[in-house]
Amino acid sequence: MTFEIPFGPQHPALEEPINFMFKIEEERVVNVKPRLGYVHRGIEKIAENRNYQQLVYLSERICGICSFAHALCYSQVVEELLDLKIPERAKFIRTIVAEMERIQNHYLWLGLTAKEMGFETLFMYAWRDRETIIEMLDMISGKRVNYGMSTIGGVRRDITEPMIKRMEESLNHLEARAEYYTKVCTKDPSILKRTVGIGILRPREARALCAVGPTARASGIPRDVRADEPYAAYGEISFKVVTYRGCDVASRMYVRIDEIKESIKIIRYALKNMPEGPIRVKAPMRVPEGEAISRVEAPRGENLHFLKSNGTDKPERWKIRAPTLANLLSLCRMLMGVNLADIPVVIAGIDPCIACAERIALIDAKTKKLKVWEGKDLWRYANEWYRKRYGL
Amino acid sequence: MVSEEIWALIQIFLFPGFFFLFFLAFFTEWVDRKIVAKFQNRYGPLHVGPKGVLQPIADFIKLLSKEDITPRMADKVPFNLMPVLLLSLAITPLFCIPIVGSNALVSFEGDLIAIMFIMSLIAVLVFIGGWASTNRFSTIGSIRAGLQLFAYEIPMNLAMIGPAIAAGSLSISKIVDWQIHGFWNLFIQPVGFAVLTISLMAHLQRVPFDIPEAESEIVSGWIVEFSGKKLALIRLAKDFEFVLASALIVSLFLGGPYGPWYISPIIYLAKFFICVFILSNLRAAFARYRIDHLLAGAWKYLTPLALLQIFLIKVLGV
Repeated sequence: MTFEIPFGPQHPALEEPINFMFKIEEERVVNVKPRLGYVHRGIEKIAENRNYQQLVYLSERICGICSFAHALCYSQVVEELLDLKIPERAKFIRTIVAEMERIQNHYLWLGLTAKEMGFETLFMYAWRDRETIIEMLDMISGKRVNYGMSTIGGVRRDITEPMIKRMEESLNHLEARAEYYTKVCTKDPSILKRTVGIGILRPREARALCAVGPTARASGIPRDVRADEPYAAYGEISFKVVTYRGCDVASRMYVRIDEIKESIKIIRYALKNMPEGPIRVKAPMRVPEGEAISRVEAPRGENLHFLKSNGTDKPERWKIRAPTLANLLSLCRMLMGVNLADIPVVIAGIDPCIACAERIALIDAKTKKLKVWEGKDLWRYANEWYRKRYGL
Repeated sequence: MVSEEIWALIQIFLFPGFFFLFFLAFFTEWVDRKIVAKFQNRYGPLHVGPKGVLQPIADFIKLLSKEDITPRMADKVPFNLMPVLLLSLAITPLFCIPIVGSNALVSFEGDLIAIMFIMSLIAVLVFIGGWASTNRFSTIGSIRAGLQLFAYEIPMNLAMIGPAIAAGSLSISKIVDWQIHGFWNLFIQPVGFAVLTISLMAHLQRVPFDIPEAESEIVSGWIVEFSGKKLALIRLAKDFEFVLASALIVSLFLGGPYGPWYISPIIYLAKFFICVFILSNLRAAFARYRIDHLLAGAWKYLTPLALLQIFLIKVLGV
């Protein structure tokens, strides 16, 4: 018996609105169709009406969890256009905050995945430990979620000596907890049953479908922007790119837990070797004409920002590619053939952030031509649609 | 003569009858929620009554007052009947469990078999309720509930038969009685005890075997279309099933209301809440299994172990 099951846009397993249409045969997925477009926010369009300084704050609101990665990526792309040299201390602070954000995100992910496999206790534990790192971020930046740390030309707040002392304590705690989770996730039989051999993505497929971040690294591909094309202070800090060869959800879990430990080491090194000096330089309002791209390894994978400026204080085009969009194709490949009960775990495995990945392209089905719609066109279309639907 | 009738009425309606059982069901739910919350580093219910002890009752009343929706496509008669039947079937077996002394309110030769039958009926009712809602998620949930029945029913019944063979009677009251003269069945049949506990977890559809209502997979499965009064009744029925499960373990394996010194409902309740603690503890310690894991595990391990236990009883003659 084949039947279709919709997952989303409203579904308790998916926090964000995306729709998957699964064709199920005896509880096995034989086909899957993803559908985006429920939370398109038009950020790229808004950006054309704001100046560069305001956009730092907009960029943080692309994603709630990897907000600093987007702000950092945006700041870097503008700095490249301005040809601005930022102080060494700012680079180290950027690295520290980026790694703290990675720890925070990976704990969040661990909790969510545990919840998807019905392990509520692990969910509660992981989120309790996440609170430690969030408090540290709160202490440094004054905020728990959108930190407002990165800016064009450096960072906005300094890390002082008493802060370093408190951070070292909490890092010790977090490291002990990461060790504990390694033990739990490698030993607990019910977790192993739900993750080992589930949602396979072979290395060849991962390469062909351009997987990024922990998803690619769990398939044995050492793809990491921090190592491949170092930005901020990553060039001066040695660290290991964590890879696993299991290609399944369990490997994605181990990659993330090991990355927490690596991040803790990076932060420790950076705190110890942070150079003295100013934390920012002044940036001009106007940006000379040109184009630039910048890449940042966000917790979920590679962020890519493209910026085209036209010599005024507002950008002409700002293009964002968040990691979830890059991983969506790999996700569809992973979902083929999995059991219905494993769908939430596999979807959670890529750490999806749907709002970051939203896209709209209007293509005429007959002529295959791309259309550009303005606000009033959308208005007209919506009215027509409702009129037709409800016979008004 | 008259006073005897009044006494019977008190027994049926107050203690250990309806009133006591309702109170016990709500209280057990609260204990369960509190214990699991403690394990998960949370507070659990806090606000209604001292330490939130009245929260289950408040939830029940709140659900009663909510809008009751019957889906247009649902099969109306079974859909509306199912919660009522489920509740009555969940309460009925509790009258066969001796709480004060060794005699239950209703006791006859073979009431253990009747309880097994009713417990299977509950699983069948769950299947019917999910199927009648004609929702895609509840259909999958009810199919899973049916499959789960195949997995746990046989080991559960075999484990329940073990004490009956030892006591030489199919009446729960007599099994309890037999345990005063010998040992608790827990010490004679530890394997049967473990098998029964695990199978009851599957029967109660609790984590790690909450497969038919897996929230993150199929949106609470067979319950998804029930709302308002029906949902309230289903949740109460689930509380009663939980009470029944713990009460069965106490009666069959822990010697019922008999303590080392004297007979008392307090001893009974102490044992009862030890069982609740064990079941709640198990709920907090695992991730959800998949239906194929459960079926394979039940047939590979639980059923042979239950059979081994019966074999041991026969061979050792205890």
